Amino acid sequence: MLHKRFLGFLASLAFVVGAFGQGAHSFKINEVVVLNTDGLIDEYGERTAWIEIANTSWGTNNIRSCYLTTNRAALNEELSVPERVRLMSMIPKGDARTNLSARQHIVFFADGKTNLGTLHTNFTLKPGESNFIALFDGNGKTLLDSITVPPLAENQSYARVYDADTDAYTWLVLDEDEVTPGGDNVGQGKVEDKVAEFKAKDPYGIAMTIIAMGVVFVALIALYVFFRLFGYVVAMVSKITRAKAIRTVRDQAERATIMAKQGLETKGVDMKVYMAVIAMALKDYEEDVHDVESNVLTYHTEEHTEWNAKGYTMREWPE
Amino acid sequence: MDIFDFIGTKLADFLTYTGFANAEWGNWIMILVGAFFLWLAIKKDFEPLLLVPIGLGIILGNIPFKAVGLEVGLYEDNSVLNIFYQGVKTGWYPPLVFLGIGAMTDFSALIANPKLLLVGAAAQFGIFGAYIIALALGFEPNQAAGIAIIGGADGPTAIFLSSKLSPNLMGAIAVCAYSYMALVPVIQPPLMRLLTTKKERVIHMKPARQVSQTEKIIFPIVGLLMTTFIVPSGLPLLGMLFFGNLLKESTKTTRLAKTAGSALNDIVVMLLGLTVGCSTQASEFLTVDTIKIFFLGALAFIIATASGVLFVKFFNLFLPKHKKINPLIGNAGVSAVPMAARISQNLGLEYDSKNYLLMHAMGPNVAGVIGSAVAAGVLLGFLS
Repeated sequence: MLHKRFLGFLASLAFVVGAFGQGAHSFKINEVVVLNTDGLIDEYGERTAWIEIANTSWGTNNIRSCYLTTNRAALNEELSVPERVRLMSMIPKGDARTNLSARQHIVFFADGKTNLGTLHTNFTLKPGESNFIALFDGNGKTLLDSITVPPLAENQSYARVYDADTDAYTWLVLDEDEVTPGGDNVGQGKVEDKVAEFKAKDPYGIAMTIIAMGVVFVALIALYVFFRLFGYVVAMVSKITRAKAIRTVRDQAERATIMAKQGLETKGVDMKVYMAVIAMALKDYEEDVHDVESNVLTYHTEEHTEWNAKGYTMREWPE
Repeated sequence: MDIFDFIGTKLADFLTYTGFANAEWGNWIMILVGAFFLWLAIKKDFEPLLLVPIGLGIILGNIPFKAVGLEVGLYEDNSVLNIFYQGVKTGWYPPLVFLGIGAMTDFSALIANPKLLLVGAAAQFGIFGAYIIALALGFEPNQAAGIAIIGGADGPTAIFLSSKLSPNLMGAIAVCAYSYMALVPVIQPPLMRLLTTKKERVIHMKPARQVSQTEKIIFPIVGLLMTTFIVPSGLPLLGMLFFGNLLKESTKTTRLAKTAGSALNDIVVMLLGLTVGCSTQASEFLTVDTIKIFFLGALAFIIATASGVLFVKFFNLFLPKHKKINPLIGNAGVSAVPMAARISQNLGLEYDSKNYLLMHAMGPNVAGVIGSAVAAGVLLGFLS
């Protein structure tokens, strides 16, 4: 029993650890602005460089205790964990904002002022230069994501954008009006490509018309076919139900007719006879001749009683 | 004397804030357009539920003011109108309207005679006919798609798609869509007469079979699954449409269906109409593009109506004599629920006083709503 419980505990532990690990691995660096002069402001009204992290999973995950760094030395596996952690900026615990629901984002301000709160890092980014950024798991060893941001112009961002053509994410430099702190980058920078592609390859709209009308017809034909078939099924079911109901009514009517016929015609029994039979049965009952039955009085016509015995019913011929 | 100087300065200052001081000729034109819409709605009874909010919205959006951060204009962050406008801009009003439409719509006619779904599909040619012409007129594909959806004759769908694909044209597109929907009784009958023979107009259709409650409950569920699995990008519109319908047909959520179809729908329509009207500020609206959009919108309606009617005629070639469809219900495939179906009914009665087409026309009419939402989903999927 104890052995089983221990195994259960181990299994639970493995599940929890696995789930935690899986959760942390869903954090990705999503967008970075190095020189922010006209964009997002922090809680103190300041514009500084920022790093956006996305929870790419469909579950809630907490990014607390993970580490951000711009120091490549933190990648050196020969260093001990405490040595590596000293090169990083820890994301503090105890702030509800670090708990990211499905597909949610969080923005950290790279201003070197951790005293300003959870969302501020102990490092800054260097404008006009390449910046390496890495995100580590809470153990200080596991690299979750890293990116080298190329030199960016003022208010430009370097963003992880979904590319529908390759069904993968690519990193793109986005202009100021495409920057989306705290938001998804899907479609940014690619909308124009899609439109341009249609413009170049389908300038008259024929392909779009054929495809789109095809889809509209397919969708509505699918509905048509389903409801056509479903209509048949419903009609058949209602036909069967109706036939059943008719049969039941007919059976009952037939039974009633037979009963009436048997009672009133076939045996020629009338009300007076019935009453007489009941009276005879009652007499039997009172004289304890009747069978012991509850609530039932039966009169057996075949039995010879003093009521039906010929000997009793005949009078002696007078001599 | 200082006090008089002060009063004089302040009065002069105040005058610079008034609408009179800031008005441009464009504002006056748009105010007249708004007044014209109100006249159409109130005096001529052209879709008053839509045109009154839009008409007043046009006037409201064109009241000139000095842009000094008063936070009163539609496009000024944090203004009340701007907050209302978010529902249009981010596209959450249209799905709410679809919720109401679903809660009010009876799909029985369609379930009883599902082949009418195909008429609703055929009428969507209006959208793509307009798309082709819009491209030829020099619009970008995303703009052309936003304009072409006017052919779906479905205001919420037009607003939803244009807010996503061509937000700068949304005001003109929305006003155009609603205007033409109000003008359906003017646009459609001549076309319907032109494309049908007298013999076709008096075709009597078999009364639709009775639809069981089970079928009515299954329709929104199956409809949702089938359409959104094919076109997931139409999820906001189709999802809410079928959700509203399920509320109505489940028979267990009558209270919710009533709210969705009445109070909620009315609130959203008011805010939607007003803010769409407001978005037609002269600087954005009085452009050559707007004229093109109105021209394309009219073409889209014409193509949609014609394709619906012609498709029924084509379909009739394959149907046995006793199952022929009256082509006068083909126009209803453009959506515009229930105005287009009413036109079928009126025209049918005009040629045969015993030919009631309303219930038959409701089939393609509601199919058109589904069809235009699917078409919008396809365009959104390709171009966004």
